[in-house]
Order: sequence, then structure tokens, then C-alpha cells
Amino acid sequence: MLRGAAALPLAAAPERPLRIACDMPVGRIDPLTVSQTSGLLMLAQTGEFLLRVAPDGSLRPMLAVHWESNEDATLWRFRLRPGVRFHDGTVLNAGDVVATMDRLSDPAQASNALSVFRSVLSPGGTRAAGPLAVEFRLDAPDGHFPYAVSSDNYNAIILPAGRAGDWEADFIGTGPFRLAHYTPTLGARFERNPDWWGGAVRPAATEFLFFADQQPQILALLGDEADIVAQFVVSGARGLLDDPACHVIRLPSAAHRQIHMRTDRPPFADARVRRAVALSLDRPAILSGLLYGQGVLGNDSPCAPIYPETDLAVPQRAANPGAARRLLAEAGQAGGIAATLVTERLQEIPDLAVIVQQACAAIGIALEIRVEDPALYYGTAQRGSSDWLDSDFGITDYGHRAVPDVLLQAGFASNGAWNAAHFRDPRCDSLIAAYRAARTAAARRAASRAIQELLLAQTPVIIPYFFDFLVATRRDVTGVSASAIGQLFLAGAGRSAA
Amino acid sequence: MSGLRFAAWRVVLGLITLWLLSVIVFAAARVLPGDVGRAILGPLADARAVAALDHALGADRGALASYIEWSRGLLQGDFGVSYAYRTPVAPLVAVALGRSLRLACLILAVAVPPALAAGLTAAHFAGGRIDRLLTLGGLALTVVPEFVTAILAMLVFGIALRWLPISAEPPPGAGAGTWLRHLILPALPGAVALFGYLARTLREASLAALQSDYLRAAILKGLAWPAILVRHLLPNVLPLLLTVLAAQLSYLLGGLVVVETLFRYPGIGLLILSAGRAHDFPLLQASVLVLGAFVVAASLAADLAVRWLTPRAA
Repeated sequence: MLRGAAALPLAAAPERPLRIACDMPVGRIDPLTVSQTSGLLMLAQTGEFLLRVAPDGSLRPMLAVHWESNEDATLWRFRLRPGVRFHDGTVLNAGDVVATMDRLSDPAQASNALSVFRSVLSPGGTRAAGPLAVEFRLDAPDGHFPYAVSSDNYNAIILPAGRAGDWEADFIGTGPFRLAHYTPTLGARFERNPDWWGGAVRPAATEFLFFADQQPQILALLGDEADIVAQFVVSGARGLLDDPACHVIRLPSAAHRQIHMRTDRPPFADARVRRAVALSLDRPAILSGLLYGQGVLGNDSPCAPIYPETDLAVPQRAANPGAARRLLAEAGQAGGIAATLVTERLQEIPDLAVIVQQACAAIGIALEIRVEDPALYYGTAQRGSSDWLDSDFGITDYGHRAVPDVLLQAGFASNGAWNAAHFRDPRCDSLIAAYRAARTAAARRAASRAIQELLLAQTPVIIPYFFDFLVATRRDVTGVSASAIGQLFLAGAGRSAA
Repeated sequence: MSGLRFAAWRVVLGLITLWLLSVIVFAAARVLPGDVGRAILGPLADARAVAALDHALGADRGALASYIEWSRGLLQGDFGVSYAYRTPVAPLVAVALGRSLRLACLILAVAVPPALAAGLTAAHFAGGRIDRLLTLGGLALTVVPEFVTAILAMLVFGIALRWLPISAEPPPGAGAGTWLRHLILPALPGAVALFGYLARTLREASLAALQSDYLRAAILKGLAWPAILVRHLLPNVLPLLLTVLAAQLSYLLGGLVVVETLFRYPGIGLLILSAGRAHDFPLLQASVLVLGAFVVAASLAADLAVRWLTPRAA
């Protein structure tokens, strides 16, 4: 009797959803305007891109299966994956891609993707070349254009053609998860999409828990109330690196802090003074002390070691206070310089400012530090009303990009919108243009080397390190895939059997 | 002044206070650096996108026009639409305020009875060891910052012992028991701080009452302690308790941002903070005003209660 009872089929316990602790998105989740990491994390749960950037930086098919360009990289053709359906059952076609890209590239639409598409793609530049074929006619040659329509451009999830606004109502997309419910400021729940083109989705559901700070996310992970912390910065969470209950996923990235010096006026107009400042910094000590080694050394250009085209043979700049003092003397500044270092209150940046101040003091440069709220520091982000763009000396936060094109164009071209150093160098402009237009890896590598060497010689900015993107999971969680700009791809994620 | 006239006068004063509050918040929001479009799109966003978004949200209009339109809407019961969330403000504020009210009620329920008992006991044994223990203990609890109590409670009861959840928000559809279980740890830091403050305040009030002529006479006549407590001491202490609690309401509702942050409990304090950071003027204005209205109403209720409890104050 007992044996018979035991043999009765037991109802399977519902699988516990995978719980992800992440920052609270402040404001509406809108593919057009999203800029916070927490927002782009949400987009990537249900939305998909034409292409996806793999952890090694290469491009992989997503909604597009093939892409090619013409000879001068001004016309790109993409072939879409057949049989892909949106969550409402409609079939993806070229018209959806055209509508999405036109909206994202339209200056009248408040699109956050404009900084990527500026001078590259305009409304009307995208057209259907068949039910599953799309052509992009670019404003200028761009050998890296596929990255602009990949997961690296986090706003560029493909939406149905008729869809604009109120995405938050259903998070419609083509991805492996469908929205179950979303509560602003609190969290979201997603359920497996059984019709996903990519095959079986491992977790039945995922649950995102929103937090207003990092510390409670770490505590939730340690208290087994979360399985994954979507991103953490190592300052303040050092303990996680050695915690046996956790696993840390380290993604090398191009995210960095950029120390700019105004090249157009004293006291940093002379390149020798700028090089002296760069030579005062002990980068390995900074990397170890501030980031516990979770990153790599920077060499004063945004050409990060993760980019395949970056020439790692370019000599790494190292601390040399003696040479720095000599350079200052040659520049007629042996008597010392006084300046104000302005920066934003964000993560370890104020500590970096103090380190820079001490290093500069050792070579005779007296710095006064002014740490501001980010809103005050960036101001209107226009020259004349932005401490970021107007200060003589500043430290700014730059996020990860899968390719350095935007960082180079906006940061170092003479007309660049983010050119806080006010650096103007026609040779640099043409090298950046050559880099962007290059269609072969060899051509791009040659341009990269020339840019790296030019920026080292001129030193409009100092980039002391590139820091890793860190994700923490509980030890039994496997299959988590992340990108260094903050997306989590969880179709293959789950808990391993004990 | 009759009770009715007193109440009417206080309501008028309260409305003036709220109007001044709205002007101050409005002016403060306008002098904050940056703008809403850039706050939403990020510091490195294209200037054309920022301008387009500011225009779409109506955030590029003149300050006076914005304030007049907002005031007109408010008089019609419309708090406006949040710039950041692009939904009506009222439900956002209502949900956050509801959470804060639940937490505040639990803190009061946990803190007030023991604080009252501790204050009366310390006064009864004034100068003795129990008094010193309660007084110094209360002082110590008052000065411990909430984040210290909160993290300690999380580490001990949430992570080491796993007795209580460290997330304040229960799962959807949870019953009252689960709801209460989730709120115990978040209530603890506020309750600890309030207990220390109330206990010391009530001790002083009780001591003053006990040293009054009529109570000394009652004690000398041999009146039993329970009778002294119920007939003389509590009626003297309760008005002060009500006044103090009314004054603490703004702290309990809007001042527990650290607790709300640590325990994942987005109440009105966190809403105000994030609205300020996002330059979300309609949300900021409505949140502060609603919180202000609660504080003004609580203060009025406390004053009326005090008049009722102590007729000689009328």
C-alpha cells in the first residue's frame, strides 16, 4: 500500500526562476532612448540585434545571417534570418529593420543611437532589397559599420515596423524570453519563448530584481536571494573575487577613465608638459591599488588591447619622474605649474584624482581637485557650458565599445563632440578617417599603430587603465553569457545539478 | 479660539506652507545642473537627440509657463506626467507612498510601546542603574547610523542565520504573514533609532511630571504606582508623544532612503531622490508635495489631539 502510494507520480516542483540582481532603471524602458546599463540589460532580454558581438569582439549572426559591403564600404547588404517571429506572432521582414533603423537614425526622434549613426547613417539610408534583404547606404565609408547595427549599439534591437513608443507595455521582440510582468523601480519577470528561432531555452523564467545601489545586490547574492549580479565594480566588492560561494565572470573591456589636458591653452598647451604628466603616473600600482588588478594598462590612446587591430608592439609608457621633470624644464616650467583637476563623483574616479594629484606634486605640478556631481560635470555637454569640455584638466568616464571608431572620431577628431582636450591635428583627423574606412584588418592595424604613436607623442589624454566588466554568479549557476557593455544573454543559463 | 476655528486656521496655514514648498522645490529643481533630456539619454548623447527629447517632454518651456501649467493641473487633481517614466505621476507616488506608510506603521508599532515603557521606567528609577542603562542605551541607539544597523541586521539575520529575507518586497500575491516577515528587517534600523530618541524624550517628560507638586503630593499620599501611571503620568506624557511622533513623520516616510536602498524597497524617499537626479520635475514636485501634505496633516492632527487631551492648552 505504502509502496503503491510512493509510486504515484508526484507533481514536479515548479522550477525556480533564475534571479538576477541589477541596478534599478530610472525612467521608461524605451529602445529609442535607453542609456543606462540597467535599461540596455532589459532590452537584451526580449529584443535582438542584426548581429551580436562575441566575447572575443568578433561579430556573430543574430537576426542577420550574412553581411557584405561594396568596395569602399559605403553600401552594406544584410540578409535576414528566415522564419523569425516576433512575440506577437508576426514574421520578421526587411520592413521591420528599415523602420527600426530609420527611427534610430532620425535626429528628430530623440534617438540615443545618434551618437553612433552621426555622419554614418541618415534616415532613408536604409532600404529593403527584398523580403529578407536590407541595404544600408552610408553617409561616409565605414568598414566597421556592422558593429553599428550589432549588440554593441544597444538601442538597435529590431522592432516590428508599426511599433513606436510604449515598448514597456509588452517588451516585444524576437528574443528567447517574453515579458511576463514589469514593475517600474521593482523588477521584471520573463518567461521562456517556446517559438524562439535559436532552439530550446534553458531557464523556464528569469526574474530581475532592481536595486538602487551595488551593496545590497552583493548581499542578495550572498544571502541566496539572487543567483546573478549583472554587473559590479570591484571597489566595494573586493570580497567577491575570493568568495568560494561565488563565481566571477571577467570580461576584458575598452571601458576606461580618460584624463584630458587642454591642448589649446596654457598650462598644458605644450606637449612636453602633457607627456611629463603622463610619465609621472605609476600605472601598475594604480591598477593594482584601485582595481585590484581587474583590468589592463592603458597606453594613452583609446585603442585598447582587446581590439584586434591595436598594435601591442607600440611601447608601453611607464613611470619616469626624472624624465618628467626634465621635460618640464625643457618646456620652461621648471618652476612648477598650478592647475585645477575637475572630475565627476563616480566609482573610483575621485581616488584616481588624488593619485594623479600626488604624482603631479612629485614633479612640481600643484593640482587642486574639484569633484562634482556628474550632472554638473557634464553640464550641457556643449563647449562653454560644460566643465567636462571646458576644464584645463579633467577625468572622464568612458564605457566599453566593441570597436574604437566612436571613441576616436568623437574624442580626437578636430570637430569631435567629446574632444575635451580641444586637440586639433589634421594628421590625426586623416588617420581616423583612414581607420574608419579601412576594409581589411591589415589596413586598420596600420592606421591604428599610427594613431597610437601620434597620441603617445602628443598626449592630449592619459588613459591609465582599461577595466574589466565583472559579473558575479552563485557557484552553481552556469551558461551565463555577458557583453562588456552590460548585456546578459541567458538562453543557456541555469543551475547545475548539485 | 474654538476648536473648529483653530482647525480651520491651521488648514489655511498648512495650505500656505504647501504652496511655499511647491515654489521652493520648483526653484530648486530649476537650478539643478543639467537637464532632463541629458539625464535620460546620458552625458555623451548627441545634442540633437537631447534637444528633441526636451521638446517632446515639454521640458524646454519657460520656467513660469511650466509652473503655471503644473499648478493649473494640480488644482484639477492632475499631478502631471513624469518626464522619466512618461506615465501619470499620481500612481507612481501612490505606490511609493503606500510602501513608505506600511514601513512607517511597522516601525511605530515596534518602537513606540517599548520606548514608552523604557522612558517611564527610567523616570521611575531616576538616577539608578536601570535609568543609566536605559538612558545611555537609548543615546547609543540614537547615534548609530541606520546603514550600520541595517547592514548588521542583514548580515546576521539574513545571511548568517537565514532567518529573515533581506528583500523588503514580498513576492506578488503574498499573504499578510509573508508581508510582515519581509518587512521586519527593514523596520529594524528605523525602530532602533526611534526607540532611543523616544525613550530619552519620554524619560525627561515623565521625570518633569513626577517632580511636579501635584504628583509629589499624590506619591506622598501613598497613591499606588499603577494609579499614578494611568491617572497622572500618561495623560501628561501622551501629548508630548503625539507631538514628537508627528514631527518624526517626515523622517519615517521620506528620510529612510538608506533603508529603502539597502532592502530594495522603493518608497517615497527613494522616489524623491531618483526624481531629483533625473531632473523629473513633475515627479519630484508631486512626491515632495504629497509628503509635505502628510506631514502637515499629521502635525494638525497631533495639535488637535493635544488640545483634546489637555483642555487647558486650548
